[in-house]
Amino acid sequence: MAEVKLTPNKEIDLKVEADVITPDEFAGKGKSEIEQLLVWQGPSQYPLSDFFDVEGEGGSSAEDTTIVINGDVSRVKLIGAKMTAGKIIVKGSTGMHVGSQMAGGEIVVEGDADSWPGMEMTGGVLHIKGNAGDHVGSAYRGSWHGMKGGRLIIDGNARSQIGGGMTGGEIIIGGSIENFCGIRQTGGLIVVKGNAIRAVGAEMSGGTIVIGGNIQKFTPGMQNEGEESDLEFEDIKCSGTFKKFRGDFAIAKNPKGIVYAGKETNPDL
Amino acid sequence: MKFLLNTGSTIDEGRLAKGGNKYSEEYKKECAVCWISPEDFDLLGCPEKVKVTSTDGRYSIVVNTKCTDRVMCGNIFMPRAIWSNVVVNPWTFSTGSPLYKGSPVTVEPSDDEVLDAEDVVLKLYYGGE
Amino acid sequence: MVVKNVVCPVCGGSCEDIQVELKDNSITVKNACKMGNGKFQEVVSEHRIKDPMIKKDGKFVKVSWEEALDKAAEILANSRRPLLFMGSETSCEAQEVGLHMGEYLGGVVDSNATICHGPTCMGIQEAGLPTSTCGVAINRSDLNIYWGTNPLASMPRHMSKYGLFPRGYWTKRGRFDRKVITVDPRKTDTAVASDLHIQLQPNSDYELLNALLTILNGKTPHHSVEQVTGIAISVMEEMVDMMLEAKFGSINVGLGAGSSFGKHRNIEMALNLVKELNNNHGTKFRIGALRGHCNVAGFNQIATYLYGYPFALDFARGYARYNPGETSCVDLLREKDVDAALVLGADLVGHTPADSAKYLCQIPMVCIDIAPGPTPSGADVLLPGVIDAFECDGTFYRLDNVPVYFEPFTDSPFDFTKSNEDTMKQLFAKVKELKEKA
Ligand code: SF4
Repeated sequence: MAEVKLTPNKEIDLKVEADVITPDEFAGKGKSEIEQLLVWQGPSQYPLSDFFDVEGEGGSSAEDTTIVINGDVSRVKLIGAKMTAGKIIVKGSTGMHVGSQMAGGEIVVEGDADSWPGMEMTGGVLHIKGNAGDHVGSAYRGSWHGMKGGRLIIDGNARSQIGGGMTGGEIIIGGSIENFCGIRQTGGLIVVKGNAIRAVGAEMSGGTIVIGGNIQKFTPGMQNEGEESDLEFEDIKCSGTFKKFRGDFAIAKNPKGIVYAGKETNPDL
Repeated sequence: MKFLLNTGSTIDEGRLAKGGNKYSEEYKKECAVCWISPEDFDLLGCPEKVKVTSTDGRYSIVVNTKCTDRVMCGNIFMPRAIWSNVVVNPWTFSTGSPLYKGSPVTVEPSDDEVLDAEDVVLKLYYGGE
Repeated sequence: MVVKNVVCPVCGGSCEDIQVELKDNSITVKNACKMGNGKFQEVVSEHRIKDPMIKKDGKFVKVSWEEALDKAAEILANSRRPLLFMGSETSCEAQEVGLHMGEYLGGVVDSNATICHGPTCMGIQEAGLPTSTCGVAINRSDLNIYWGTNPLASMPRHMSKYGLFPRGYWTKRGRFDRKVITVDPRKTDTAVASDLHIQLQPNSDYELLNALLTILNGKTPHHSVEQVTGIAISVMEEMVDMMLEAKFGSINVGLGAGSSFGKHRNIEMALNLVKELNNNHGTKFRIGALRGHCNVAGFNQIATYLYGYPFALDFARGYARYNPGETSCVDLLREKDVDAALVLGADLVGHTPADSAKYLCQIPMVCIDIAPGPTPSGADVLLPGVIDAFECDGTFYRLDNVPVYFEPFTDSPFDFTKSNEDTMKQLFAKVKELKEKA
């Protein structure tokens, strides 16, 4: 397995769009070819080497290529966008759109990720060890379909519009979330271990959401369907007792979305 | 004390702003104001002026108070103007629009001076951190 | 001489029935509201910005028009990522030049919608806009809902001209043929004048709308909604009944819905409510945004027909991209992701949160404005603005997206520019000159 190491070599002022940082682009390229790949900063394009020191070279194929980013790239956007195979390890935080539309392979972010990670992803694994911003695994503006497949894991907290328009795949969040989680969801699974502020499963018509912690403001269009204990979704297990709801009846006459809310953490629901 | 800050237009704010009078005494009198419900006003000790501080504690602004039952307990209202915007939460929830309505803020009585609009720009925005 | 049918350039009402009489040092105005009148007085005011200025060592000095324009062009041409903010207090014609300049420079072009009804535009993109012009509402509406807006303060003549009092074909008795519901956490003057005031908890608009739709769909909303919104389910049912009894309802949404927590999701839900009422319940409704700023609707219209998006247009890659939160003014400034700005007819320093306003003051900024205020104070180059509808002709879009052509009743007070459009064109020519030289 070939490894390419990218080390940030200067402080970035205006944000950089680096959708070329993918195993697909790096595969089959030597060090100098990788250095010459172009990234955007505002309306201008610059070689990747203006922002990163490059070590190593790409493998024979994307599967064969691992990219290690050695430092903070929170002002670099679109890392790993549309990748289909191989691996990216970011040893810091990333900017917006990490793993956007990714179809395969694996991305590990050791720090935080800004908004739009895994937008409309269809496959692969995106693992963020810190916190994430808005629109995790969601649909792009005006699009009806969010994440379709793959797995998105966030160890920390995430903010709003998680899994918007999601139709398949899994999102697992270790921490807490804010508003409109699973908005317009029609399929797939979202598991949140911590708390949610508001509008969980709003406008959903299919798929499943599990919230282990407390939901501050519950979605009015949800109807109670009793209780269930120790949920199992293939390899994902949620232990404890949950109140089960179906909805969102605000948006459809016969919706099939299911929200599970921890029984002990939500005495008022 | 913690409150939710609501900002919006008032008719005189509009009249003065549109009339190009943003640096007038009258504009300051209309806009450098925090509307507080009678209950909260009592709890704060009926102060003449209050210091309003942003959610993250990084910015604050001193304004006059107006006790009125037009706002509910736990909420404050400030006319939309430079004073209120100093403490409005800059986070936009990925919509571009900051929390002009419903920013969590803290309010405490204060004896400090209420800055003129121009001084807000010069002292707060040019004066460094 | 009395001039009739002057268009008021102050709020989205675009009232076209103003009468003015301009004498040497005074102006008499009829029909305009307090707010409109304030701006008409600007024609003869003392504080009008009359000279081009450049900030040198922190102080403004008067310079020639040419020098100011050169400096402004230099700022924009040297920028690696400029923000062009086309405010609402000017014509579509001037805003259009800004859009083209933004495309040419690969910058970002935004407008007042971004700090105003931007979320409303986003909600419309998600759910579609079942609407009509105000004329239809005048003739038909027997129920008016003001949601999160206090028109008596933000569009003072809305009630008398469009909303509540006008007599129309099927509403011959005006106010007596109409009911009014106001949804507002504050007991505003509008709320006091209403038949039903829903005094909901701030930031619970989404839950209330969701509950109303749930009731329409024949279910009882989850009981927690009473505590979340502060409104009893029985009152929500009463509201739904009023809506179902109406022959034609008109919902006017304001920033209370678009700017509170929930943002575009609130609007999307309101649009869904209107669609549901129209499709399945034997009544007809329309919805419209109450747009407080003058020509804020205009920018959305022309940006959409020219470039496909209503605001927050990023031209970095040569074509327009749109992602509020990433390419929108407040976020770009907060994130320090632009390095120069041009602000036309808007008080960005006064109306954006501190982090954004502060950064805007730090970067090179060109400002075109008519009167002193926070943004002119923060500028590096200050170009005097011309007042649209008073001193030059052009086009505004009214709150219901109807274009209104306006004609001036006096001339530009300057010999160096005829209008903001003219200023923008002169500036764009200089910018091109500099860019082509480089
Ligand atoms: S309502 Fe608006 S457009 Fe009409 S006169 Fe007043 S400010 Fe001008």
